[in-house]
Amino acid sequence: MTTTLFDNSRVSELRLQQAALPWRRRTANFRVAVAIAVIVPPVIVGLLWFLTSIPKPILMLVIYLPLQLIASAIAAWSQRGTKAVLDSAIIVCAIGATIFSFVILISVLWSIVSNGVHALSWAFLFQNNVYISPSTPLGYGGVGNAILGTIMVVVIASLFAVPLGIATAVYITEVRGKAVPYVRFLVQAMSGVPSVVAGLFILTVFILTGVLQSSGFAAGLAYAILMLPTVARTAEEVLKLIPDDLRTGALALGSTRARVVMKVVLPAAKTGLITAAILGIARVVGETAPLLLTALSNDQTVLNPFNQPITALPAYIFSNVAQPYPDAVTRAWGAALVLVILVAILFTITRVLTAKRVRR
Amino acid sequence: MSSAEFENIATLEDEFTESPEVTPERQVEMSAHDISIWFNKRKVLEGVNIEFPKRTVTALIGPSGCGKSTFLRTLNRLHELIPGAALAGEIRYEGKDIYAPEVDPVLIRLAIGMVFQKPNPFPSMTIRGNVLAGLKLSGMKRPNHDDIVEETLTAAGLWTEVKDRLNHEAGSLSGGQQQRLVIARALAVNPHVLLMDEPCSALDPASTLKVEETIRQLSKDITIIIVTHNMQQAVRVADYTAFFLAAEGEPGHIVEQGPTTDIFGNPQDQRTLDYVNGRFG
Repeated sequence: MTTTLFDNSRVSELRLQQAALPWRRRTANFRVAVAIAVIVPPVIVGLLWFLTSIPKPILMLVIYLPLQLIASAIAAWSQRGTKAVLDSAIIVCAIGATIFSFVILISVLWSIVSNGVHALSWAFLFQNNVYISPSTPLGYGGVGNAILGTIMVVVIASLFAVPLGIATAVYITEVRGKAVPYVRFLVQAMSGVPSVVAGLFILTVFILTGVLQSSGFAAGLAYAILMLPTVARTAEEVLKLIPDDLRTGALALGSTRARVVMKVVLPAAKTGLITAAILGIARVVGETAPLLLTALSNDQTVLNPFNQPITALPAYIFSNVAQPYPDAVTRAWGAALVLVILVAILFTITRVLTAKRVRR
Repeated sequence: MSSAEFENIATLEDEFTESPEVTPERQVEMSAHDISIWFNKRKVLEGVNIEFPKRTVTALIGPSGCGKSTFLRTLNRLHELIPGAALAGEIRYEGKDIYAPEVDPVLIRLAIGMVFQKPNPFPSMTIRGNVLAGLKLSGMKRPNHDDIVEETLTAAGLWTEVKDRLNHEAGSLSGGQQQRLVIARALAVNPHVLLMDEPCSALDPASTLKVEETIRQLSKDITIIIVTHNMQQAVRVADYTAFFLAAEGEPGHIVEQGPTTDIFGNPQDQRTLDYVNGRFG
């Protein structure tokens, strides 16, 4: 093999072949075949879409997809032979699957935006729900109290879950104690806990025993249980990326293990840890069940997290969406839109922060 | 020193309780006595006996995988941080066993600094912050931080290049500059011994010369132990040289040690002669 590789005559022979037939060259024929394969099936299906009454999903799945597969296969076969047929089929399926998931995602977003946008107004964003009944017309009352409630519950949850989650990750990656496999197993098991169970746990352990009232604080604790595994696992991955050279470098300067973690490892991982916290928040911010069990609801604006029930956005959606009044349902959609926007803001922040991290 | 002098642990301990033998003209800063090293069940180094006289440079040479770097890491107790690592024998620093139970490894690492093969500045700190990191990390108090920064960066041959951007991120420096920065960082805590694990393998020839000058300069005050694959470098900087070798599948050991001029000019062992003349390894 190696002899032929360095055999000059063979190399120049290859070069000649390449010069005669560059493998990337796209002939006019090739372009035409691709254009036919890309244009003809959609046109046929488009005509059927408007001219016949075939149900649309059947049209797409039973007629369009096979048609597109066949057209691409013929185009591929005519230009590149039989081996290209499978290649074309895989490309068509991959593009089809991508479009399918995008359509689902966009339709969910579209239903929230189209239904919720009518509810949006300054009043809706900043007013609370006092004196508002389900039959009150739009333009009065809003989710101001629920936005504050969501922020309060999420902040309380973060106060518990972020330090605990990072501490767990530090135990796993830095301390490397004997219990690491068990801790990791527990964290994994915790990430499978249904949110209603977290709510029930806080309800039975703290609220029914009289330790806490149904309040933002109790809901924050329930959220913290759900947030912890996400934060811990993401933070673990982030800390694993910090090179060991930094740790030994710090130790060689006469540092204690604790100082290595506090002054070298955690600062180096700062942006990643912020990402972990934000992913944890995004994980819990839409959870409804724990709120219904631990925070109940409250039409007033509540600033004290300890002494009274509180409404957060998911609970607001839940209580309005089942009402027999169209305006209440619209309000629920509006609240859903606000929640989606809140999450979008969080993810944008994550993106910006992680984009900065690339340069190291 | 021959291995026959240290046959077993008992005699070692007897000597340890007596005052360590110190000849005034050749004070010993560190010494290793019958050191063997394992990773789990694999023995990587066997029966190493060596002395490092005060204020000298000792080069550890030998082919890759013969245990030089591992040995270097036992000298400041970094070796023990690797899971499965084990050690037998005794490392003495100023006559005392650094592996004795009452010894705090953190203080050992403070007195015995280290420079690694790959530059490892702390990415979250500035250039100045990196130089002073050792003070911050060890809790050591030293006045006049500005002077320390200038002194150590000058000693590492980096001062003129970075004096106008001390508050820039350390990551903005080139690889060679980063290596000189971590040398400055190691010097800022005033170590008595400096271990260097192929410190110039990531440097260009000009930076290498600067670092070698720095090593010669530093050896007036501190003891330096340097692992190097560069024979010329060993000749240029080292007063003493030890040649490590590991036969296939066997633990490494010291084949020959002594003044650098002897090792390179008049080696007693055929293998040493072959190695220093570049005939293998």
